[in-house]
Amino acid sequence: MNDIIIAGIGGQGNILLSRVVCQLFMNKGFDVKSAENIGMSQRGGSVVSYIRAGDDVGPIVPDGKADILIGLEMSEAARNVNKVNKDSLIVLNDRFVRPKNSDLKKQQILRFFEENFPKLNIINAHDIAFKLNMPKAENITMLTLICKEEILPFSKEEILIALKQVLSPKMYEMNKILVEKIYERY
Amino acid sequence: MKKVLMGNEAVAYSLFINGVNVAVGYPGTPSTEVIETLKNFHDDDFYVEWSTNEKVALEIAAGASLAGARTVATMKQVGLNVAADPLLSLSVVGVEGGLIVFVADDPGPHSSQTEQDTRNFARFCNLPVFDPSSPEEAFELIKPAFEISEKYKIPVLFRMTTRVCHSNQSIEFELKREKRKIKGFEKKPDWVILPALSYIKHMELEQKLQDMKKELSAYNRIEGRGKIGIVTGGVSYFYVKEAIKGFEDLFSILKITVAHPLDEGFILEFAKDKEMLIFIEELDPVLEEEVKLILFENGKFIPIYGKRNSYVQFAGELDVDKVRDIFYKVLSDKRFLKKNTFGDVLQIPKRQAQLCAGCPHRSSFLIVKYAAKGQDVIFTGDIGCYTLGFAKPISTTDTCLCMGASITMAQGFKIADGSKKVIAFIGDSTFFHSGITGLVNSYYNRHNITVCILDNLTTGMTGFQPHPGTGKKIYGEEGRKVSIESLVKGIGIEKILVIDPYSDFTENVDKVREFLNNDQLGVIVFRRECANLKSRESYFKINQNCLKCRVCLKVTGCPAIDEDENGNIFIDSALCNSCGLCKNFCRYSAIEKVMVK
Ligand code: SF4
Ligand code: SF4
Repeated sequence: MNDIIIAGIGGQGNILLSRVVCQLFMNKGFDVKSAENIGMSQRGGSVVSYIRAGDDVGPIVPDGKADILIGLEMSEAARNVNKVNKDSLIVLNDRFVRPKNSDLKKQQILRFFEENFPKLNIINAHDIAFKLNMPKAENITMLTLICKEEILPFSKEEILIALKQVLSPKMYEMNKILVEKIYERY
Repeated sequence: MKKVLMGNEAVAYSLFINGVNVAVGYPGTPSTEVIETLKNFHDDDFYVEWSTNEKVALEIAAGASLAGARTVATMKQVGLNVAADPLLSLSVVGVEGGLIVFVADDPGPHSSQTEQDTRNFARFCNLPVFDPSSPEEAFELIKPAFEISEKYKIPVLFRMTTRVCHSNQSIEFELKREKRKIKGFEKKPDWVILPALSYIKHMELEQKLQDMKKELSAYNRIEGRGKIGIVTGGVSYFYVKEAIKGFEDLFSILKITVAHPLDEGFILEFAKDKEMLIFIEELDPVLEEEVKLILFENGKFIPIYGKRNSYVQFAGELDVDKVRDIFYKVLSDKRFLKKNTFGDVLQIPKRQAQLCAGCPHRSSFLIVKYAAKGQDVIFTGDIGCYTLGFAKPISTTDTCLCMGASITMAQGFKIADGSKKVIAFIGDSTFFHSGITGLVNSYYNRHNITVCILDNLTTGMTGFQPHPGTGKKIYGEEGRKVSIESLVKGIGIEKILVIDPYSDFTENVDKVREFLNNDQLGVIVFRRECANLKSRESYFKINQNCLKCRVCLKVTGCPAIDEDENGNIFIDSALCNSCGLCKNFCRYSAIEKVMVK
């Protein structure tokens, strides 16, 4: 049983990323289910996707049950910590977009994760996507880096296959170049 | 083949496979993807369109069905209110080709004004309603839904909720379309609903419902043999399954897939040896009430736990943890207590939805706000992205009710509180959906309001669908474009102003101020395409001139502008959509454009 949470803000491509992750697990022979909150997602609100591999489960991951939390944005990852436990694997994008009217600080969130989760990984997907001139592809950049660093067990070829299955041909070509570049340079 | 499909996509695939000929709808979260997916299918006997509103869509479906076509009309739950008029009549008149009314309910709600329950509409209209629990089940139920519709000649409601519509599941299927011949329209007196006929047909409808009960009951099922009975349906079924994991012996589940009409025999069979019944359902206590009635009528009294005695919440959605809490409350069994989590350690404040960075509406709202400064104004709002005009610091939306109501409520304010100026905001798609009749009324009855049509050349909220004002049809091919200005002129309104919200801000404020000066009925069209439709050529950044006065941040509220821990103002280059609005408010020339290489 694999329960995965992907948290971020609208516009980061959370839903597409969750699609690709579903496809990756399916290609490995899992039956998958997933759910997401969409609607206001375009508008910079909180977006969270749940991915579940297993029978007879609903689409929402129960509290404390998630095995993996992927945070495209840190405070959104923190918002969803109820879903994980201290043994969960945490992967955070080094990206902080402060919820307006709060005095939340990036350091505060980082410290919280460091203190509570032994299996914590920080990934610099935001900067790398920007440097590769694809700021809107933070999602796939994140996934590629996660796999490249062997945090999740998918090869470059497997990523490309899943992308091809999920994306339109035009989008696939763009993202293919991105994935190749990341494997070459970072 | 095996594919991961979203619930709505699964419905679309199945509709196509089962030979749907006509698919019509109006976008609305969480229903939109059914049509969005169907449009990717092509066949010589298949037609798909975005209609102007849900009533229009359902009436088109009705026509096509009477001519023998398999049809579907899609909408969200509030859209069904708009289509209620034809639906109630159609339930009496009947159909020819299978007609499915696909309605997406939104417990939570995630993106709706109401949490209404379409299963109640089914009771109200005397129609059967399918209520699948998962994308896979939705996929499988489209075929029987068409068959029931054709066999009993009535429309069938196909109701899903957000967590089924928008969840994904791997589904195995063969993409092979069932070809059917459309037999064409046959004239019959049946199709003209006169009062005398309506009475006869009403009796027929009641009979049809009795007749189909047994057949529909086959889609409901009993699982397990425990003494505690759980009645559930929709996505809640899975929450129950997960919550009772490890304690299955205690329970048996009645899984209701067709929520109306219910077969008494089947319900009694289930209830016969139960110590109690627990009802786990979202939104209204539809199963709870119907089952209770059946038990009462048959002299059977067993303890019941549900919404009516406050064991289950009336509002919002359920999940596994909430269901477990309910079992704990009913059974006082500690094994259903949930584990501690990180809950209170770190409080993250709610992230308010905002108009996107670079959204032309932000500029339009601010232009009107500045132009109306110093005057006593009521701003009425409507349904769409621009409902977010209520959010600080824009704060230029005082009301929001339903599609089209900005224009009509504005007239109500003018009648009741005439000393104030009233300005209505409405989007382009919403204007075509149900703004036009309101505008006609304001002209006819001499209500002197100002109507601002925020035209971003798309239906932004639901993912950029075309509409009559874009002139493009569903595949992007040419339709005919309805000009908002000509339409407004055609009504007789002469005072019209068209503004590009990205052009010179001060000049625009002056123009609008002058426009608002005399208190006549007038329409301002703010026209600029949605920021998400254009690829970005530049973005803005803050340079060393910045004196940290925070004006740009405070006035625009643009999500791309923020201040860091040291009070330094910065623009998030990944978010900025380069509208240039913030630049207007900086007195120190600290905001500059950067071209994307
Ligand atoms: S930062 Fe300024 S230019 Fe960029 S989107 Fe926001 S208001 Fe427009
Ligand atoms: S308005 Fe200009 S000076 Fe003031 S904070 Fe913004 S960029 Fe800096």
